[in-house]
Amino acid sequence: MKNDSVYYLKDITAPETPEPGENPSPWTNTTIIGKRLPRVDAYERTSGSALYPSDLLLPNMVYGAVLRCPHPHARVKRVNTRPAEGIKGVLTIITGTTPEADVWWRNEDGYRSKLFDPHCHYEGEAVAAVAALDPYTAQDAVKVIQVEYEVLPYIIDEERALDSDAPRVHPKGNLVDTESYERGDVDQGFAQADVVRERPFHTRCEIHTPMELHGCVAEWKGDTLTLHESTQGVYAVQAKVAEALRLPLSRVRVSGRYMGGGFGSKLKAGKYTVISAILARKTARPVKLVLTREETYLAVGNRPSSHMTLKAGVKKDGTLTALQFTCTGTGGAYPAGGVALVDWLIRDLYTCPSVKTECRDVFINAGPARPFRAPGHPQGSWALEQMMDELAEALHMDPVDLRLKNIPTVSQGRTGQPAYTSTGLKECIESGAQSFGWKAARQRNKSSNTGTLRRGVGMGGCVWFVGGGGPPSTIIVKLFKDGSVNLNMGASDIGTGTKTIMAMVVAEELGVKLKNIQIENADTGTTQYATPSGGSKTVPTESPAVRNAAIHIKQKLMEMAAEELDCDFEDLEFEGDEIIVSSRKEQRIKITDIPKLKKQGVIVGVGYRGPNPENKSVNPFGAQFCEVEVNTRTGEVRILRFLGAHDSGRVMNRLTYDNQVFGGITMGIGFALTEFRVLDTGQTGKMVNRNWHDYKLPTALDVPADMKSLPIELDDPEANNTGAKGLGEPVTIPTAAAIANAIYDATGIRITETPAFVPHLITRLNDLAKEG
Amino acid sequence: MLPHFSYIRPETGSEAMSQLSDPESFVLAGGTDLLGCLRERIFPVRKLVSINGLAQFHGITETEDGGVRIGALTTITEVETHPLIQNRFPGLARGASEVASPQLRNQGTIGGNLCQKPRCWYYRGEFDCLRKGGSQCFAAEGQNQFHCIFGGDGICFIVHPSDTAPPLIALNASAVIAGPKGKKRQVPLEKFHVLPADDLHKETVLNPDEMVTEILIPPPPPRTRSTYRKVRARRAWDFSLAGVALAVHIEDNKVVNSRVVLSGAAPVPWRSKAVEDVIQDRELNSKTIADAAQAVVEGAEPLEHNQYKLPLFQGVMEEELLALTNQA
Ligand SMILES: Cc1cc2nc3c(=O)[nH]c(=O)nc-3n(C[C@H](O)[C@H](O)[C@H](O)COP(=O)(O)OP(=O)(O)OC[C@H]3O[C@@H](n4cnc5c(N)ncnc54)[C@H](O)[C@@H]3O)c2cc1C
Ligand code: SF4
Repeated sequence: MKNDSVYYLKDITAPETPEPGENPSPWTNTTIIGKRLPRVDAYERTSGSALYPSDLLLPNMVYGAVLRCPHPHARVKRVNTRPAEGIKGVLTIITGTTPEADVWWRNEDGYRSKLFDPHCHYEGEAVAAVAALDPYTAQDAVKVIQVEYEVLPYIIDEERALDSDAPRVHPKGNLVDTESYERGDVDQGFAQADVVRERPFHTRCEIHTPMELHGCVAEWKGDTLTLHESTQGVYAVQAKVAEALRLPLSRVRVSGRYMGGGFGSKLKAGKYTVISAILARKTARPVKLVLTREETYLAVGNRPSSHMTLKAGVKKDGTLTALQFTCTGTGGAYPAGGVALVDWLIRDLYTCPSVKTECRDVFINAGPARPFRAPGHPQGSWALEQMMDELAEALHMDPVDLRLKNIPTVSQGRTGQPAYTSTGLKECIESGAQSFGWKAARQRNKSSNTGTLRRGVGMGGCVWFVGGGGPPSTIIVKLFKDGSVNLNMGASDIGTGTKTIMAMVVAEELGVKLKNIQIENADTGTTQYATPSGGSKTVPTESPAVRNAAIHIKQKLMEMAAEELDCDFEDLEFEGDEIIVSSRKEQRIKITDIPKLKKQGVIVGVGYRGPNPENKSVNPFGAQFCEVEVNTRTGEVRILRFLGAHDSGRVMNRLTYDNQVFGGITMGIGFALTEFRVLDTGQTGKMVNRNWHDYKLPTALDVPADMKSLPIELDDPEANNTGAKGLGEPVTIPTAAAIANAIYDATGIRITETPAFVPHLITRLNDLAKEG
Repeated sequence: MLPHFSYIRPETGSEAMSQLSDPESFVLAGGTDLLGCLRERIFPVRKLVSINGLAQFHGITETEDGGVRIGALTTITEVETHPLIQNRFPGLARGASEVASPQLRNQGTIGGNLCQKPRCWYYRGEFDCLRKGGSQCFAAEGQNQFHCIFGGDGICFIVHPSDTAPPLIALNASAVIAGPKGKKRQVPLEKFHVLPADDLHKETVLNPDEMVTEILIPPPPPRTRSTYRKVRARRAWDFSLAGVALAVHIEDNKVVNSRVVLSGAAPVPWRSKAVEDVIQDRELNSKTIADAAQAVVEGAEPLEHNQYKLPLFQGVMEEELLALTNQA
């Protein structure tokens, strides 16, 4: 794996932006940044007036629906659309033989297929599509299209994908790739160890289930296509659609001001995007195509399952000597990062001189993966953090102490082992443990754990592979003569509060009230180029550029003020919305009173994102702690409390910060306790739990009321000029492993396979009881 | 999306009954289950007969003999929160409180809850399974972790999804059923649901032209305690993996009479006579409870992926009986 081939930039071209001139150092004091402020668009979002793509109603708009292959592996022999054509309200039907739909779709790593590929490699592959006057007719029409399939043998078990008799997903065979990494000498490391442990771990496939379904509204005006898409990155969608439809980029406008969550599954366009564009062209009407929930379970991404083995060696004093890790995973039917970053924590999180990893990515006949909040990391954490606890127990050491013994200051997994610009791992673990009351809780549980309700505590640490952000980013801020501001930014606000934070940066610099800042974002037609909002990099990427743009305005204002007040530029400083002469404090002028601004009407400031420090790595860190109660009669697990201590540099907005921590923990609880895809192995190969009821997301009752967010706010002047690092992904990395460790602490049972739910636990508890 | 159907909202009971005599017509109560079935096109539906205009089928009243009458249209929430139920039949109140989610409890009715369709994911999905008229039970050799351990008889392995039926059966309740031409019959709820071996294509004894109008619960014998306990994969909005409804009459520390009904165990709410026999006339001490835990899984026939239900039922049984003794 290349260290810096970041998944959210994969296959994306990005421009180079100029370096900002002078890079200011991060603020020492702030008045707005860091506050607990509600979102600037909270009213719109909660009142329903915010228009998400799914809400959009355009004049003359019609609706699309997609017919999907019901088999895990099949060849389309014939499609008879006639029964659908007869339905009143059906406007057009497109299939693999429709000339306009004869379009190539590029998958990753050189694999390409047709938009409607006759060779369907997974259940849910698109076979045909319909546009109709209303969404119900479109769905009905899709149901009556007759398709003759040649059903082919399939493979859905990744552990058997490389067997010689396994059906081949692609002619080249089922191995996508094997990624290896090695440093030091693990054999020697194990030889030096006092304790060596080895254990298999397994995590199940998890499905993205954002609130807003995947989809878009496509509209042609002449030769120009406008797409209103629920996406994390409008420019990424533009690129993919322009490529597929062979359109000039300038003729594809993508807008996505509001979107209802993606978690990585909306980093790019989907086939549905292109299909809606084709339907819109054929019907000469805007087409809304929003997938059904069932379709999204099959066809628009997942967190790959992984089968891992981890062997670890440690000395008596707790120093790790060697880690050896293997993993088999699958991104489904096309290359989709089936093992991407699963080994990263093993390579990077704890100090260890000798590490060897080997990850095998295989094809199976199931829906392709897409990046899922901290790709690979929760899986690797599931293995590593449980192993750390196992080692600690063997050494009679507190799990916290064992981790503290192995805190690195350099990114060991990267070539050249660059230092981190800042690392709060130690503080996260120490302060987290303290605030959680770790030692006392462990003690208390040890002495009181005799009944059938057993309590236990568990924890885990984390680093996130990226999270420092970086260029390119271009921001334009316009200050009007009345002191109000337009902020123009290409980035999407995927629900994390990006817009709010950027407005706060402007307010911090220019003394403008938040309510006087209007934000234009996520529109290739009107906003500047931005990379997709993913990888926990949006704040560290965009906020420095926003700050630079605001500072650019400030400089222009000071030049105007210097002229007006007839003093030296150097003698001026900003205070709120006023400029004052440092040497004569009584001399001051309100920005809006500067005559030149009044005359000009507007000042335009441009900000660019400066480069990251050379030979340094910018990463967020964290540690999470939890307490659980296990009913040993039934195997029920109740999470009593959680604490997330995260170092993501500066806290930009405490409210949205805590939202991320709680949301990440909630998602991690789902990964640990309730969520998994079930395929009909040995029979039809189809997914059986493709709905919101059978695929179980955690509910409010599965998440503890007692959740604490403890920011570990370290200065990081090297990272960027706001000192912020990413947060959205690290917050879900150690959650599941911490829960598994707590279950072990409570019961002595190590759950190595997700989900840790009643069926698994009761079986293990029963075995344990039998063993006596 | 939904198939085409006609919708009728009769004003009188007799009109409702005559509408129901048409083939492929269905009673529509809260619609929480039926609409999902329509969307998935699980069975053909030509007519929906909404009974929501029939006020007489709504509400909870005390009967002369000290029992309770629950109209079929009474919502689950009303059952859960009604003082009569809470005081006299806490097991039923508990069962109702364990149903689905608050929204579904507000909308779903007790009649619909008893008559709801199975939740087997093959049945609800795109699988042409035996119960839907196909040639194969996919659960038999497939993903059967949430299926039954009793009563499948090698045919169909659904579990009955209701959380109100087990406590109702434990309380010896019966259903009043109206049929065409003013006909009425009363069926003990214990005999209301149908095993696959008896009829694979229906879940209740109702004929297509019949409907449940009310549930009658007889007055509880003095010193009867009723409880319901449900274990599920997540803590809300989820069906039972294993549940136990108890109505136990204890005198002088001894079990005089008991009814034990399991959810999540069988295609029908499963009365565990084995447990009842074991605890009959005995004190609920640890030996009795251990014996009861053994008895609850006696004769179970678990499938490949639901073996865990055996220790689970044992654990739940133990816990519930112990809880009874602690209350005493
Ligand atoms: C997501 C989800 C989760 C659920 N979880 C649970 C759970 O945990 N526990 C649980 O017990 N239930 C659960 N349910 C089921 C829910 O309780 C039932 O859907 C509800 O009680 C049905 O009542 P209704 O009035 O909406 O019935 P409807 O949907 O109107 O009808 C359901 C069926 O019963 C028939 N019917 C309705 N009333 C009568 C009558 N009076 N006479 C004859 N036939 C009738 C209808 O024709 C239909 O076939 C869940 C449902 C959903 C959708
Ligand atoms: S258990 Fe019953 S409903 Fe489920 S697949 Fe088998 S026959 Fe169909």
